[in-house]
Amino acid sequence: MVQNLKTDVLVIGAGPAGSMTAKWAAKHGAKVLMIEKRQEIGSPVRCGEGMSKEWLKEVEIKPGRWINVEVEGARIYSPSEKVFEINEKHAGNEVGYVVERDEFDKQLAIDAANAGVEVLLKTAATSLLKDGNRVVGVKAKAFGEPFEIRAPVTIGADGFESQVGRWAGIPTNIAMRDMDTCLQYRMTNVDCDVRYCDFFLGRVAPGGYVWIFPKGEGLANVGIGVQVSQVSSPADARTYLDRWIANHPGYAKGKKIDMVGGGVSISAPLKQTVADGIMLVGDAARMIDPLTGGGIANGCIAGKICGTVAAEAAAAGDPSKEFFQKYEKGWRARLEEKLYRNWLAKEKLVTLSDTTFDKVVDALAGVRLEKLNVHNILRAVHEKYPEVTKEFEAFL
Amino acid sequence: MPSKKSLHIESSGQLCIYCGACVGICPLNCIYLDETRITFDERVCTRCEICVKACPVGAIEID
Ligand SMILES: Cc1cc2nc3c(=O)[nH]c(=O)nc-3n(C[C@H](O)[C@H](O)[C@H](O)COP(=O)(O)OP(=O)(O)OC[C@H]3O[C@@H](n4cnc5c(N)ncnc54)[C@H](O)[C@@H]3O)c2cc1C
Ligand code: SF4
Ligand code: SF4
Repeated sequence: MVQNLKTDVLVIGAGPAGSMTAKWAAKHGAKVLMIEKRQEIGSPVRCGEGMSKEWLKEVEIKPGRWINVEVEGARIYSPSEKVFEINEKHAGNEVGYVVERDEFDKQLAIDAANAGVEVLLKTAATSLLKDGNRVVGVKAKAFGEPFEIRAPVTIGADGFESQVGRWAGIPTNIAMRDMDTCLQYRMTNVDCDVRYCDFFLGRVAPGGYVWIFPKGEGLANVGIGVQVSQVSSPADARTYLDRWIANHPGYAKGKKIDMVGGGVSISAPLKQTVADGIMLVGDAARMIDPLTGGGIANGCIAGKICGTVAAEAAAAGDPSKEFFQKYEKGWRARLEEKLYRNWLAKEKLVTLSDTTFDKVVDALAGVRLEKLNVHNILRAVHEKYPEVTKEFEAFL
Repeated sequence: MPSKKSLHIESSGQLCIYCGACVGICPLNCIYLDETRITFDERVCTRCEICVKACPVGAIEID
Protein backbone atom coordinates (compact mmCIF):
# COMPACT_ATOMS: atom_id res chain seq x y z
CA MET A 1 0.00 0.00 0.00
CA VAL A 2 1.26 3.45 -0.88
CA GLN A 3 0.61 5.95 1.91
CA ASN A 4 -1.89 8.73 1.46
CA LEU A 5 -0.26 12.15 1.38
CA LYS A 6 -1.04 15.73 2.38
CA THR A 7 0.48 18.93 1.05
CA ASP A 8 -0.33 22.64 0.67
CA VAL A 9 -0.01 22.80 -3.09
CA LEU A 10 -0.33 19.80 -5.40
CA VAL A 11 0.91 20.22 -8.98
CA ILE A 12 -0.21 17.65 -11.55
CA GLY A 13 2.27 17.36 -14.41
CA ALA A 14 5.98 18.17 -14.49
CA GLY A 15 6.20 19.97 -17.83
CA PRO A 16 7.55 23.53 -17.96
CA ALA A 17 4.29 25.04 -16.65
CA GLY A 18 4.06 22.59 -13.75
CA SER A 19 7.70 22.92 -12.70
CA MET A 20 7.56 26.72 -12.82
CA THR A 21 4.36 26.81 -10.79
CA ALA A 22 5.80 24.38 -8.25
CA LYS A 23 9.04 26.30 -7.94
CA TRP A 24 7.38 29.67 -7.38
CA ALA A 25 4.91 28.25 -4.89
CA ALA A 26 7.80 26.72 -2.91
CA LYS A 27 9.82 29.94 -3.11
CA HIS A 28 6.88 31.71 -1.53
CA GLY A 29 6.88 29.32 1.38
CA ALA A 30 4.34 26.63 0.47
CA LYS A 31 4.82 22.91 0.94
CA VAL A 32 4.61 21.63 -2.64
CA LEU A 33 4.23 18.18 -4.17
CA MET A 34 4.52 17.71 -7.95
CA ILE A 35 3.41 14.43 -9.52
CA GLU A 36 4.32 13.21 -13.00
CA LYS A 37 2.89 10.16 -14.69
CA ARG A 38 5.93 9.52 -16.82
CA GLN A 39 9.03 7.75 -15.59
CA GLU A 40 11.28 10.45 -16.97
CA ILE A 41 10.55 14.17 -16.89
CA GLY A 42 10.87 15.76 -20.35
CA SER A 43 10.90 12.46 -22.22
CA PRO A 44 9.66 11.52 -24.74
CA VAL A 45 9.89 15.01 -26.23
CA ARG A 46 6.71 16.26 -27.88
CA CYS A 47 8.02 19.53 -29.24
CA GLY A 48 9.62 21.38 -32.15
CA GLU A 49 12.03 22.85 -29.58
CA GLY A 50 11.94 26.41 -30.89
CA MET A 51 11.54 29.27 -28.42
CA SER A 52 12.06 33.00 -28.14
CA LYS A 53 14.36 34.13 -25.41
CA GLU A 54 13.44 37.60 -24.14
CA TRP A 55 11.05 36.18 -21.51
CA LEU A 56 13.55 33.91 -19.77
CA LYS A 57 14.83 36.66 -17.46
CA GLU A 58 11.33 37.59 -16.37
CA VAL A 59 10.75 34.12 -14.95
CA GLU A 60 14.37 33.70 -13.79
CA ILE A 61 15.39 30.78 -15.97
CA LYS A 62 19.14 30.84 -16.44
CA PRO A 63 20.77 29.76 -19.70
CA GLY A 64 22.06 26.21 -19.44
CA ARG A 65 23.13 23.24 -21.42
CA TRP A 66 19.57 22.88 -22.71
CA ILE A 67 20.38 25.56 -25.28
CA ASN A 68 21.13 23.72 -28.49
CA VAL A 69 21.39 26.36 -31.23
CA GLU A 70 20.99 30.13 -31.13
CA VAL A 71 19.36 31.26 -34.37
CA GLU A 72 19.64 34.67 -36.04
CA GLY A 73 16.22 34.78 -37.54
CA ALA A 74 13.20 33.12 -39.04
CA ARG A 75 12.28 32.70 -42.69
CA ILE A 76 8.68 32.54 -43.86
CA TYR A 77 8.14 30.70 -47.16
CA SER A 78 5.03 31.25 -49.27
CA PRO A 79 3.54 28.37 -51.29
CA SER A 80 5.65 29.29 -54.33
CA GLU A 81 8.57 29.59 -51.90
CA LYS A 82 9.11 33.29 -51.95
CA VAL A 83 10.90 34.13 -48.73
CA PHE A 84 10.42 36.76 -46.09
CA GLU A 85 13.12 36.98 -43.48
CA ILE A 86 12.55 38.11 -39.93
CA ASN A 87 15.80 38.83 -38.20
CA GLU A 88 16.65 39.50 -34.62
CA LYS A 89 16.66 43.26 -35.09
CA HIS A 90 13.14 43.79 -36.27
CA ALA A 91 11.63 40.87 -34.45
CA GLY A 92 12.65 42.55 -31.19
CA ASN A 93 14.25 39.40 -29.82
CA GLU A 94 11.30 37.26 -30.86
CA VAL A 95 13.64 34.75 -32.42
CA GLY A 96 15.86 32.79 -30.15
CA TYR A 97 16.88 29.28 -29.37
CA VAL A 98 16.41 25.78 -30.55
CA VAL A 99 16.62 23.79 -27.34
CA GLU A 100 16.99 20.27 -26.03
CA ARG A 101 13.49 20.09 -24.62
CA ASP A 102 14.17 17.07 -22.41
CA GLU A 103 17.14 18.87 -20.82
CA PHE A 104 15.08 22.05 -20.47
CA ASP A 105 12.20 20.30 -18.71
CA LYS A 106 14.61 18.46 -16.43
CA GLN A 107 16.40 21.69 -15.55
CA LEU A 108 13.13 23.35 -14.55
CA ALA A 109 12.24 20.31 -12.43
CA ILE A 110 15.68 20.47 -10.80
CA ASP A 111 15.16 24.17 -10.05
CA ALA A 112 11.80 23.28 -8.50
CA ALA A 113 13.29 20.45 -6.44
CA ASN A 114 16.09 22.74 -5.28
CA ALA A 115 13.47 25.24 -4.13
CA GLY A 116 12.01 22.52 -1.90
CA VAL A 117 9.41 20.85 -4.11
CA GLU A 118 8.82 17.11 -3.59
CA VAL A 119 8.58 15.22 -6.89
CA LEU A 120 6.90 11.86 -7.49
CA LEU A 121 7.51 10.04 -10.78
CA LYS A 122 5.33 7.38 -12.36
CA THR A 123 2.47 8.85 -10.39
CA ALA A 124 -0.67 9.71 -12.32
CA ALA A 125 -3.72 11.59 -11.12
CA THR A 126 -6.72 9.45 -12.04
CA SER A 127 -9.59 11.55 -10.65
CA LEU A 128 -10.27 14.48 -8.35
CA LEU A 129 -11.23 14.42 -4.69
CA LYS A 130 -14.03 16.84 -4.03
CA ASP A 131 -15.69 18.33 -1.00
CA GLY A 132 -18.97 19.54 -2.47
CA ASN A 133 -17.83 21.54 -5.48
CA ARG A 134 -14.38 22.26 -4.13
CA VAL A 135 -11.40 20.28 -5.36
CA VAL A 136 -9.42 19.02 -2.35
CA GLY A 137 -6.83 16.80 -4.01
CA VAL A 138 -6.64 13.76 -6.25
CA LYS A 139 -6.90 10.04 -6.41
CA ALA A 140 -3.65 8.86 -7.91
CA LYS A 141 -1.75 5.77 -8.85
CA ALA A 142 1.94 5.36 -8.13
CA PHE A 143 3.57 2.42 -9.87
CA GLY A 144 0.05 1.13 -10.42
CA GLU A 145 -0.99 1.36 -6.76
CA PRO A 146 -3.91 3.61 -5.85
CA PHE A 147 -3.65 6.24 -3.11
CA GLU A 148 -4.88 9.73 -2.30
CA ILE A 149 -3.24 13.12 -2.09
CA ARG A 150 -5.05 15.88 -0.21
CA ALA A 151 -4.23 19.52 -0.81
CA PRO A 152 -6.13 22.79 -0.40
CA VAL A 153 -4.66 24.01 -3.70
CA THR A 154 -4.50 21.70 -6.72
CA ILE A 155 -2.89 22.80 -10.00
CA GLY A 156 -3.76 21.21 -13.35
CA ALA A 157 -0.56 21.42 -15.39
CA ASP A 158 -1.25 18.23 -17.32
CA GLY A 159 -0.58 19.64 -20.76
CA PHE A 160 -2.60 19.40 -23.96
CA GLU A 161 -4.56 16.37 -22.73
CA SER A 162 -6.11 18.76 -20.19
CA GLN A 163 -8.09 16.16 -18.30
CA VAL A 164 -7.72 17.59 -14.81
CA GLY A 165 -9.54 20.80 -15.75
CA ARG A 166 -12.37 18.88 -17.34
CA TRP A 167 -12.67 16.64 -14.29
CA ALA A 168 -13.09 19.86 -12.29
CA GLY A 169 -15.82 21.06 -14.63
CA ILE A 170 -13.77 23.86 -16.18
CA PRO A 171 -14.63 23.93 -19.88
CA THR A 172 -11.34 23.37 -21.68
CA ASN A 173 -12.81 21.48 -24.62
CA ILE A 174 -11.62 22.65 -27.99
CA ALA A 175 -13.27 22.38 -31.38
CA MET A 176 -11.63 20.77 -34.38
CA ARG A 177 -10.84 24.19 -35.83
CA ASP A 178 -9.05 25.08 -32.60
CA MET A 179 -6.45 22.35 -32.81
CA ASP A 180 -3.54 21.43 -35.03
CA THR A 181 -2.58 17.79 -35.30
CA CYS A 182 1.21 17.62 -35.40
CA LEU A 183 3.91 15.23 -36.49
CA GLN A 184 7.64 15.77 -36.53
CA TYR A 185 10.72 13.84 -37.54
CA ARG A 186 14.17 14.58 -36.29
CA MET A 187 16.24 14.18 -39.43
CA THR A 188 19.94 13.96 -40.02
CA ASN A 189 21.92 14.69 -43.17
CA VAL A 190 19.58 17.49 -44.28
CA ASP A 191 20.50 20.79 -45.97
CA CYS A 192 19.13 23.21 -43.40
CA ASP A 193 20.64 26.57 -42.50
CA VAL A 194 21.64 26.60 -38.87
CA ARG A 195 21.07 30.37 -38.70
CA TYR A 196 17.33 30.19 -39.30
CA CYS A 197 14.10 28.61 -38.20
CA ASP A 198 12.09 28.08 -41.39
CA PHE A 199 8.30 28.08 -41.78
CA PHE A 200 6.43 26.96 -44.92
CA LEU A 201 2.86 28.23 -45.24
CA GLY A 202 -0.16 27.52 -47.40
CA ARG A 203 -1.57 24.34 -48.88
CA VAL A 204 1.51 22.34 -47.87
CA ALA A 205 -0.01 22.39 -44.38
CA PRO A 206 -3.67 23.44 -44.31
CA GLY A 207 -4.36 25.66 -41.32
CA GLY A 208 -0.83 25.20 -40.00
CA TYR A 209 2.71 25.14 -41.34
CA VAL A 210 5.76 23.00 -41.96
CA TRP A 211 8.65 23.90 -39.66
CA ILE A 212 12.37 23.30 -39.88
CA PHE A 213 14.22 24.02 -36.65
CA PRO A 214 17.98 23.43 -36.97
CA LYS A 215 19.78 21.36 -34.36
CA GLY A 216 23.28 21.79 -35.85
CA GLU A 217 25.49 19.64 -38.06
CA GLY A 218 22.87 18.66 -40.62
CA LEU A 219 20.37 17.74 -37.93
CA ALA A 220 16.92 19.36 -37.80
CA ASN A 221 13.42 19.00 -36.44
CA VAL A 222 11.17 18.78 -39.50
CA GLY A 223 7.53 18.94 -38.50
CA ILE A 224 4.04 19.86 -39.49
CA GLY A 225 0.80 21.07 -37.96
CA VAL A 226 -2.51 20.66 -39.78
CA GLN A 227 -5.76 22.17 -38.53
CA VAL A 228 -7.98 19.23 -37.54
CA SER A 229 -11.04 20.76 -39.25
CA GLN A 230 -9.08 20.68 -42.52
CA VAL A 231 -8.07 17.02 -42.22
CA SER A 232 -9.75 15.06 -44.99
CA SER A 233 -8.49 11.56 -44.32
CA PRO A 234 -6.84 9.78 -41.40
CA ALA A 235 -3.09 10.38 -41.00
CA ASP A 236 -3.19 13.58 -43.07
CA ALA A 237 -0.47 15.11 -40.90
CA ARG A 238 1.87 12.30 -41.89
CA THR A 239 0.76 12.35 -45.52
CA TYR A 240 1.37 16.10 -45.86
CA LEU A 241 4.72 15.97 -44.06
CA ASP A 242 5.98 13.04 -46.11
CA ARG A 243 4.88 14.82 -49.28
CA TRP A 244 6.67 18.02 -48.29
CA ILE A 245 9.86 16.10 -47.58
CA ALA A 246 9.63 14.17 -50.85
CA ASN A 247 9.32 17.47 -52.73
CA HIS A 248 12.42 18.97 -51.14
CA PRO A 249 15.59 17.17 -52.24
CA GLY A 250 17.64 18.73 -49.42
CA TYR A 251 15.37 16.90 -46.98
CA ALA A 252 14.36 13.87 -49.05
CA LYS A 253 17.96 12.67 -48.82
CA GLY A 254 17.87 12.94 -45.02
CA LYS A 255 17.35 10.12 -42.58
CA LYS A 256 14.74 10.06 -39.85
CA ILE A 257 16.03 9.25 -36.41
CA ASP A 258 13.06 10.17 -34.25
CA MET A 259 9.34 10.76 -34.60
CA VAL A 260 6.96 12.62 -32.32
CA GLY A 261 3.40 13.79 -32.55
CA GLY A 262 0.89 15.68 -30.53
CA GLY A 263 -1.86 18.22 -30.38
CA VAL A 264 -1.49 21.97 -30.27
CA SER A 265 -4.40 24.20 -29.35
CA ILE A 266 -4.86 27.27 -31.53
CA SER A 267 -7.92 28.60 -29.74
CA ALA A 268 -8.85 31.96 -28.31
CA PRO A 269 -8.01 32.29 -24.61
CA LEU A 270 -10.32 30.32 -22.29
CA LYS A 271 -12.94 32.24 -20.34
CA GLN A 272 -12.19 30.46 -17.10
CA THR A 273 -9.02 28.84 -15.75
CA VAL A 274 -9.83 28.55 -12.01
CA ALA A 275 -12.48 26.98 -9.81
CA ASP A 276 -12.73 26.32 -6.09
CA GLY A 277 -9.54 24.57 -5.02
CA ILE A 278 -8.01 24.41 -8.48
CA MET A 279 -6.08 26.46 -11.05
CA LEU A 280 -5.01 25.47 -14.57
CA VAL A 281 -1.76 26.51 -16.21
CA GLY A 282 0.10 26.04 -19.50
CA ASP A 283 -1.33 23.86 -22.27
CA ALA A 284 -3.91 22.56 -19.79
CA ALA A 285 -5.32 26.11 -19.79
CA ARG A 286 -4.94 26.35 -23.61
CA MET A 287 -2.31 29.07 -23.32
CA ILE A 288 -0.48 28.21 -26.53
CA ASP A 289 0.02 31.12 -28.90
CA PRO A 290 -2.57 30.38 -31.61
CA LEU A 291 -0.49 31.96 -34.35
CA THR A 292 2.92 30.40 -33.69
CA GLY A 293 1.86 27.25 -31.84
CA GLY A 294 4.52 27.98 -29.21
CA GLY A 295 3.51 27.23 -25.64
CA ILE A 296 6.68 26.93 -23.58
CA ALA A 297 7.08 30.63 -22.84
CA ASN A 298 3.44 31.28 -21.97
CA GLY A 299 3.32 28.22 -19.72
CA CYS A 300 6.36 29.43 -17.79
CA ILE A 301 5.20 33.03 -17.54
CA ALA A 302 1.76 31.99 -16.27
CA GLY A 303 3.42 29.38 -14.04
CA LYS A 304 5.30 32.03 -12.11
CA ILE A 305 2.08 33.92 -11.44
CA CYS A 306 0.16 30.73 -10.64
CA GLY A 307 2.77 29.47 -8.16
CA THR A 308 2.88 32.79 -6.37
CA VAL A 309 -0.92 32.93 -5.98
CA ALA A 310 -1.04 29.25 -4.95
CA ALA A 311 1.34 29.90 -2.05
CA GLU A 312 -0.60 33.01 -1.01
CA ALA A 313 -3.89 31.09 -1.05
CA ALA A 314 -2.43 28.26 1.01
CA ALA A 315 -1.02 30.73 3.54
CA ALA A 316 -4.31 32.60 3.74
CA GLY A 317 -6.24 29.35 4.05
CA ASP A 318 -8.47 30.56 1.23
CA PRO A 319 -8.32 28.40 -1.91
CA SER A 320 -11.58 29.80 -3.28
CA LYS A 321 -12.15 30.77 -6.86
CA GLU A 322 -12.55 34.33 -5.63
CA PHE A 323 -9.03 34.28 -4.21
CA PHE A 324 -7.73 32.69 -7.41
CA GLN A 325 -8.98 35.69 -9.40
CA LYS A 326 -5.59 37.15 -8.60
CA TYR A 327 -4.09 34.51 -10.88
CA GLU A 328 -6.88 34.70 -13.43
CA LYS A 329 -6.40 38.46 -13.73
CA GLY A 330 -2.62 38.25 -13.45
CA TRP A 331 -2.00 35.91 -16.34
CA ARG A 332 -4.55 37.68 -18.50
CA ALA A 333 -2.93 41.07 -17.87
CA ARG A 334 0.38 39.61 -19.02
CA LEU A 335 -0.69 37.36 -21.93
CA GLU A 336 -4.29 37.71 -23.01
CA GLU A 337 -4.11 40.70 -25.34
CA LYS A 338 -1.41 39.10 -27.50
CA LEU A 339 -3.11 35.71 -27.43
CA TYR A 340 -6.32 37.28 -28.62
CA ARG A 341 -4.67 39.40 -31.31
CA ASN A 342 -2.71 36.42 -32.62
CA TRP A 343 -5.86 34.30 -32.57
CA LEU A 344 -7.61 36.88 -34.78
CA ALA A 345 -4.64 36.94 -37.15
CA LYS A 346 -4.61 33.14 -37.26
CA GLU A 347 -8.35 32.99 -37.98
CA LYS A 348 -7.67 35.15 -41.03
CA LEU A 349 -4.53 33.34 -42.13
CA VAL A 350 -6.14 29.91 -42.25
CA THR A 351 -8.60 31.20 -44.85
CA LEU A 352 -6.00 32.64 -47.24
CA SER A 353 -5.50 31.09 -50.65
CA ASP A 354 -2.04 30.13 -51.85
CA THR A 355 -2.14 33.07 -54.30
CA THR A 356 -2.78 35.52 -51.48
CA PHE A 357 -0.02 34.01 -49.35
CA ASP A 358 2.34 34.41 -52.28
CA LYS A 359 1.42 38.06 -52.68
CA VAL A 360 1.79 38.84 -49.00
CA VAL A 361 5.21 37.23 -48.75
CA ASP A 362 6.31 38.71 -52.08
CA ALA A 363 5.37 42.20 -50.94
CA LEU A 364 7.29 41.75 -47.73
CA ALA A 365 10.33 40.11 -49.26
CA GLY A 366 11.63 43.38 -50.71
CA VAL A 367 11.00 45.76 -47.84
CA ARG A 368 12.82 46.46 -44.62
CA LEU A 369 10.37 46.77 -41.82
CA GLU A 370 11.38 48.96 -38.92
CA LYS A 371 9.31 46.98 -36.53
CA LEU A 372 7.44 43.80 -37.14
CA ASN A 373 3.78 44.19 -36.34
CA VAL A 374 0.54 43.53 -38.12
CA HIS A 375 0.07 47.20 -39.03
CA ASN A 376 3.48 47.59 -40.67
CA ILE A 377 3.09 44.33 -42.54
CA LEU A 378 -0.26 45.40 -43.93
CA ARG A 379 1.09 48.78 -45.01
CA ALA A 380 3.91 47.12 -46.92
CA VAL A 381 1.51 44.69 -48.60
CA HIS A 382 -0.94 47.50 -49.39
CA GLU A 383 1.67 49.38 -51.41
CA LYS A 384 2.25 46.50 -53.77
CA TYR A 385 -1.05 44.60 -53.75
CA PRO A 386 -3.81 46.93 -52.53
CA GLU A 387 -6.47 44.37 -53.43
CA VAL A 388 -5.01 41.91 -50.91
CA THR A 389 -5.27 44.19 -47.90
CA LYS A 390 -8.99 44.60 -48.45
CA GLU A 391 -9.40 41.24 -46.76
CA PHE A 392 -7.60 42.59 -43.71
CA GLU A 393 -9.49 45.79 -43.14
CA ALA A 394 -10.45 44.67 -39.66
CA PHE A 395 -6.82 45.00 -38.64
CA LEU A 396 -6.26 48.53 -39.88
CA MET B 1 -31.36 -1.80 -34.57
CA PRO B 2 -27.76 -1.40 -35.69
CA SER B 3 -25.31 -1.67 -32.83
CA LYS B 4 -22.81 1.11 -32.09
CA LYS B 5 -19.92 1.16 -34.53
CA SER B 6 -16.73 -0.14 -33.05
CA LEU B 7 -13.79 2.14 -32.38
CA HIS B 8 -10.34 0.66 -32.41
CA ILE B 9 -7.15 2.37 -31.29
CA GLU B 10 -4.11 0.60 -32.65
CA SER B 11 -2.13 1.17 -29.49
CA SER B 12 0.05 -1.89 -29.31
CA GLY B 13 2.81 0.18 -30.89
CA GLN B 14 2.15 -0.78 -34.47
CA LEU B 15 0.74 2.63 -35.32
CA CYS B 16 0.10 4.70 -32.19
CA ILE B 17 2.97 6.96 -31.10
CA TYR B 18 1.37 7.81 -27.72
CA CYS B 19 1.15 11.51 -28.47
CA GLY B 20 -2.06 12.34 -26.63
CA ALA B 21 -3.65 14.31 -29.48
CA CYS B 22 -6.81 12.19 -29.33
CA VAL B 23 -7.00 12.56 -25.54
CA GLY B 24 -6.95 16.34 -25.63
CA ILE B 25 -9.62 16.76 -28.26
CA CYS B 26 -12.13 14.05 -27.35
CA PRO B 27 -15.17 16.13 -26.39
CA LEU B 28 -16.23 13.53 -23.83
CA ASN B 29 -12.80 13.09 -22.30
CA CYS B 30 -13.11 9.35 -22.66
CA ILE B 31 -9.59 8.42 -23.81
CA TYR B 32 -6.82 8.04 -21.23
CA LEU B 33 -3.11 7.75 -21.98
CA ASP B 34 -0.49 6.59 -19.51
CA GLU B 35 2.95 6.38 -21.09
CA THR B 36 2.38 3.62 -23.65
CA ARG B 37 -1.00 2.44 -22.51
CA ILE B 38 -4.24 3.81 -23.90
CA THR B 39 -7.57 3.07 -22.34
CA PHE B 40 -10.82 4.24 -23.75
CA ASP B 41 -14.30 4.25 -22.26
CA GLU B 42 -16.43 2.35 -24.73
CA ARG B 43 -19.67 3.29 -22.93
CA VAL B 44 -19.13 7.06 -22.99
CA CYS B 45 -17.80 7.34 -26.56
CA THR B 46 -20.37 8.59 -29.08
CA ARG B 47 -18.32 7.58 -32.15
CA CYS B 48 -18.13 11.23 -33.21
CA GLU B 49 -14.88 10.41 -35.05
CA ILE B 50 -13.16 13.63 -34.00
CA CYS B 51 -10.25 11.64 -32.57
CA VAL B 52 -9.86 9.84 -35.88
CA LYS B 53 -9.13 13.18 -37.56
CA ALA B 54 -6.93 14.42 -34.74
CA CYS B 55 -4.60 11.43 -34.78
CA PRO B 56 -1.51 12.41 -36.80
CA VAL B 57 -0.70 8.86 -37.82
CA GLY B 58 -4.10 7.29 -38.45
CA ALA B 59 -4.05 4.89 -35.53
CA ILE B 60 -7.77 5.14 -34.79
CA GLU B 61 -10.32 3.32 -36.86
CA ILE B 62 -14.08 3.28 -36.62
CA ASP B 63 -16.05 0.72 -38.54
C1 LIG C 1 4.65 18.45 -32.10
C2 LIG C 1 4.69 19.65 -31.20
C3 LIG C 1 5.63 20.65 -31.43
C4 LIG C 1 5.69 21.76 -30.60
N1 LIG C 1 6.66 22.70 -30.83
C5 LIG C 1 6.80 23.75 -29.99
C6 LIG C 1 7.87 24.68 -30.15
O1 LIG C 1 8.70 24.55 -31.05
N2 LIG C 1 7.95 25.72 -29.29
C7 LIG C 1 7.06 25.89 -28.26
O2 LIG C 1 7.18 26.86 -27.49
N3 LIG C 1 6.05 25.01 -28.07
C8 LIG C 1 5.90 23.95 -28.91
N4 LIG C 1 4.88 23.05 -28.71
C9 LIG C 1 3.99 23.25 -27.57
C10 LIG C 1 4.72 22.88 -26.28
O3 LIG C 1 5.23 21.58 -26.38
C11 LIG C 1 3.76 22.99 -25.10
O4 LIG C 1 3.17 24.26 -25.12
C12 LIG C 1 4.47 22.79 -23.76
O5 LIG C 1 4.97 21.52 -23.61
C13 LIG C 1 3.48 23.10 -22.64
O6 LIG C 1 4.00 22.82 -21.38
P1 LIG C 1 3.07 22.30 -20.22
O7 LIG C 1 3.93 22.23 -19.02
O8 LIG C 1 1.83 23.09 -20.17
O9 LIG C 1 2.62 20.85 -20.67
P2 LIG C 1 3.50 19.54 -21.00
O10 LIG C 1 4.86 19.90 -21.38
O11 LIG C 1 2.68 18.76 -21.95
O12 LIG C 1 3.56 18.79 -19.60
C14 LIG C 1 2.45 18.13 -19.04
C15 LIG C 1 2.95 17.02 -18.16
O13 LIG C 1 1.88 16.49 -17.39
C16 LIG C 1 2.00 15.10 -17.33
N5 LIG C 1 0.67 14.56 -17.04
C17 LIG C 1 -0.41 14.55 -17.87
N6 LIG C 1 -1.47 13.99 -17.27
C18 LIG C 1 -1.06 13.64 -16.02
C19 LIG C 1 -1.72 12.99 -14.91
N7 LIG C 1 -3.00 12.62 -15.00
N8 LIG C 1 -1.00 12.77 -13.79
C20 LIG C 1 0.30 13.13 -13.72
N9 LIG C 1 0.97 13.74 -14.72
C21 LIG C 1 0.30 13.99 -15.87
C22 LIG C 1 2.54 14.72 -18.68
O14 LIG C 1 3.15 13.45 -18.66
C23 LIG C 1 3.52 15.85 -18.94
O15 LIG C 1 4.80 15.55 -18.48
C24 LIG C 1 4.77 21.91 -29.53
C25 LIG C 1 3.82 20.92 -29.30
C26 LIG C 1 3.77 19.80 -30.12
C27 LIG C 1 2.76 18.74 -29.84
S1 SF4 D 1 -15.11 8.92 -31.31
FE1 SF4 D 1 -15.49 10.92 -30.32
S2 SF4 D 1 -16.27 10.38 -28.27
FE2 SF4 D 1 -15.32 8.51 -29.10
S3 SF4 D 1 -13.20 8.57 -28.32
FE3 SF4 D 1 -13.18 9.53 -30.35
S4 SF4 D 1 -13.42 11.74 -29.93
FE4 SF4 D 1 -14.04 10.63 -28.06
S1 SF4 E 1 -3.66 10.58 -31.45
FE1 SF4 E 1 -3.18 8.60 -32.45
S2 SF4 E 1 -0.98 8.33 -32.12
FE2 SF4 E 1 -1.64 9.92 -30.70
S3 SF4 E 1 -2.11 8.80 -28.78
FE3 SF4 E 1 -4.05 8.97 -29.92
S4 SF4 E 1 -4.16 7.06 -31.13
FE4 SF4 E 1 -2.03 7.26 -30.44
